[in-house]
Amino acid sequence: MSIIINTPEGTRDRLFAECQERRQVQARLTRLFRQRGFLEVSTPDTEFYDLFALSGSAIPQERMLKVGDLSGKICVMRPDSTTPIARVAATKLKAVALPQRLYYDQTVYRANPAHNGGSREIPQCGVELIGAKGKKADLEIIVTAIDALRSCGAPKFHVELGHAGYFRELAGRLELGEEKVEEMRALIEGKNFAALTDFLAPYAGNPASAALARLSRLFGGAEVLGQAERLAGKTPAVDYLSDLYDELSAAGYGQYIRFDLGMVHQIDYYTGVVFRGYVEGAGDAVLSGGRYDNLVGVFGREAQATGFAVYVDAVARTLPEISPPVLRTVVHYEPGYLAQALEAVDTRPAGTSELSPCRTLESSLNLARDKGAETVLVFDKDGERTVPV
Amino acid sequence: MSERLRIAITKGRLLDKSVELFEAAGLDCSPIKDPGRRLVHCVPNYPLDAVLAKAPDVITYVEHGVCDLGIVGKDTILEKGGGFYEVLDLGFGKCRFALAVKEGSDFYGTYKTRRIASKYPEVTRAFFEKKGMDVDIIKIEGSVELAPILNLADAIVDIVETGATLKANGLVPIEDVAQVSARLIVNTASMKLYKDEIADLIARCEGELERRK
Repeated sequence: MSIIINTPEGTRDRLFAECQERRQVQARLTRLFRQRGFLEVSTPDTEFYDLFALSGSAIPQERMLKVGDLSGKICVMRPDSTTPIARVAATKLKAVALPQRLYYDQTVYRANPAHNGGSREIPQCGVELIGAKGKKADLEIIVTAIDALRSCGAPKFHVELGHAGYFRELAGRLELGEEKVEEMRALIEGKNFAALTDFLAPYAGNPASAALARLSRLFGGAEVLGQAERLAGKTPAVDYLSDLYDELSAAGYGQYIRFDLGMVHQIDYYTGVVFRGYVEGAGDAVLSGGRYDNLVGVFGREAQATGFAVYVDAVARTLPEISPPVLRTVVHYEPGYLAQALEAVDTRPAGTSELSPCRTLESSLNLARDKGAETVLVFDKDGERTVPV
Repeated sequence: MSERLRIAITKGRLLDKSVELFEAAGLDCSPIKDPGRRLVHCVPNYPLDAVLAKAPDVITYVEHGVCDLGIVGKDTILEKGGGFYEVLDLGFGKCRFALAVKEGSDFYGTYKTRRIASKYPEVTRAFFEKKGMDVDIIKIEGSVELAPILNLADAIVDIVETGATLKANGLVPIEDVAQVSARLIVNTASMKLYKDEIADLIARCEGELERRK
């Protein structure tokens, strides 16, 4: 009797080309990160639930995959990498001078609603620049994000900048209660144009209200910054973004930059510039990041920080498919000729030849035929010869 | 304009109204009205292709980005949720979610756990969660009104348009759960990648909605 057990919902076996496509993206990203001085860290697949719950993670409890632990504490499969890395930077790396440049290449786990085709194992490559504040730090992370998508070979992409401070400032001018602010934030995040206008109608007298009503439409090229200024006057956030834009343009990155001032996700977590990367062919952002100055401090070491993560599989799906190598040569050898046979395999392009495990040449020929190879290469006392299949 | 957008429209009641809106906004929808055997319908005078789908599938297509836009009822959005931009209330397909009970029964006047039948278990769960009430929810696929008649449930949460069906079955709506109408939704990445194209379509719809006011 054979047992039939499939993989759990949201997980899958990956075969051949799919593995290669993922590895290729990981290799390109991590090469760039190392080049820019980032050092790799790897954190446990399972962490205490409290790590995320007590540090104010924006990932809701029901999206975390729980696992048991002998201690009786609740553990989760790591739902994001930034929180564990902040913990590492504040504890294990306490004695190391700031700023620290850290990168990771690991999977995050998130529970998805059933049957939506999403994977709950999400490989990410990302960087964290910890202990650096100000424009130069933000610039470095943004250009690294752009170069990350470029290095992957993404055909058409852009990185969109926003600022957590902009919404906070405008919302502050309206003097709303916390619940009302959250209601408005959700409408802006969802780009719920009509409902937002209705929501703000009672505050029409306030100039901030006009800007907030347009906030979900304030996305696009650099012209957005001018529109924002005309609506709400000068704000530190927009001034800062336009400063960044000038520097990015001077460095030749302007063409990849867009803005979305209505990017108001995780407003309690992000403290400054936020950004997302979009690639043509992907149905959602493939890169996400921003400044989070308060997280590392939660673990006992004050350090401003910024970083981003790239969704490896989402990027890989937008790139041309890789075809795995085709087997051409089966290498058959008589006892005593292993070294020669191995050399033949090792000097051919990867995946185009393999050793035959068969004892007789006849079986090796049958094997070559079954696998669709063109020739059998034979090593025996007469030396080396090729037998066509 | 360089890119052709793709929109998923909910079949049935919302489709006729959607076509009406688009035609008033200057789009030639004759291929949608006379679909023949095709599944994808091209609007000849505007860079838009339409597919017709069941309501929950509209959300699925838009979430996955295989359709840039969708027209779907708020009822389905509330029940299914998901990540997309909900940009416009199109103002048609109006109805409401209501809690309805058997005529003469006192729904709240007991500590007994109430049993609710609904086609929309998520909407029902969220509604009673807000009230801090424990209820048993039973998902019914067909005519929900049957559940109280057969004594399977104490109440139902369902879409109410005129209330005639409820009345005919001895049920009365006692509370509104949510207002429902058709919404225009947009995939998050499409909104950014095809900003101008999508903005133009939204502006056309908005213009027409404004005229109707």
